Amino acid sequence: METQQLVTIVPWTFIATILNLFLQLYLIKRFLFKPVQEVIRKRQEKADQDIRAAEKAREEAESVRSEYEKNMANARAEASSIIDRAKKDAESRSEQLLRAAEEQAKNLKTKADQDIRQERRKALNELKGEIGGIAMDIAGKVVEKEIDEKDHRSLIEDFLKNVEEAS
Amino acid sequence: MNFDISGAKIFFRIPTGIPVLGDILITETILVSWLVMAIITGLCIFLTRNLKVEKIGKRQAVAELLVETATNLVRSNTGGKRFDRMIPFVAALFSTSVVSNLISLTGLRSPTADLSVEAAWAVVVFIMITANKIKAGGVLGYLKGFTTPIFVMTPFNILSEIATPISMACRHFGNILSGVVINGLIYAALALASSAILHLIPGAAGQLLSQIPILDVGLPAILSFYFDWFSGIMQAFIFTMLTIMYIANAAEG
Repeated sequence: METQQLVTIVPWTFIATILNLFLQLYLIKRFLFKPVQEVIRKRQEKADQDIRAAEKAREEAESVRSEYEKNMANARAEASSIIDRAKKDAESRSEQLLRAAEEQAKNLKTKADQDIRQERRKALNELKGEIGGIAMDIAGKVVEKEIDEKDHRSLIEDFLKNVEEAS
Repeated sequence: MNFDISGAKIFFRIPTGIPVLGDILITETILVSWLVMAIITGLCIFLTRNLKVEKIGKRQAVAELLVETATNLVRSNTGGKRFDRMIPFVAALFSTSVVSNLISLTGLRSPTADLSVEAAWAVVVFIMITANKIKAGGVLGYLKGFTTPIFVMTPFNILSEIATPISMACRHFGNILSGVVINGLIYAALALASSAILHLIPGAAGQLLSQIPILDVGLPAILSFYFDWFSGIMQAFIFTMLTIMYIANAAEG
């Protein structure tokens, strides 16, 4: 078979090689670089997007947190004000109650005093009458003599006075 | 036994009658370089099949590694992103060169064992260098560059300018051709040696066995490690690196 020389430049092979080189350049660009660079670009984009989303989520969380803290502070203030009010309420209420109770007690006491005094007077009066009768009976029996009504009465009166003083 | 080394086989000749260019020759070089292109393109298509943004497979990892390696090589040698559009060219040059060199492992003749191929590449690179020089300094600046440092140096400057593509082409070609020559010599010599040794066996058995070049198994594989693998990859790398460096230098003016 015919062969070319060992060291030679064949013009058509030379031209074909240049064309081949540029064809290969196009093919390698089209089938390796373009798709790979595209996918790397997409990945980069996705990473950027993820970072942006994370940033946004962080900001949101931050705002939620600050809102929560604000709410908490409000709630705490409100709670303390409620407690204050309740305390004040309770104080005034208890004071009122105490005052009412005191008044009631005073009333009761005065009423009881009055009752007691009245009862005592009644009892004394009753006792007076009864004792007078008994005394007269006893005196009548003991003396066995009729003393006039007037002496009698004054005797009894004396006695009663003594009794009253003694009581 | 004769041993001779010849150029690429000519399978087909298309007469054109054009004076300088001559006939179109469909040679081994052309056919194998088509095969090389098919291999590279097929590999590219295979590696970039169903690319994904997340959870990439091994094939995609390799594809991305290749692209990134080429990008880093160009960027680190030119210092910056100015030559990013050159990356696919560099990748094409390197991959074509490497696959052309290594295809000799299959017993085919490397296209790079034909000076026409390297000359074509070197001329393309030379045109790129010149274009970058003109772009950097203008036509006048480019022409003026030949007269530096003094006017007397002009012929030498022109010579060194022309020497660039010639040296690039011949370096690559010489290395590959020397591999072809030495491999051929060693195969032939070992065949002779095994024939001579096996001929010592008396009778018909010796006659038969001496036809088998038994010594060709083994040693050439070790030598091929240097001449095909190391030299092949090295020359492709050197050619590519020189391309990058020359173009980057040219653009700096």
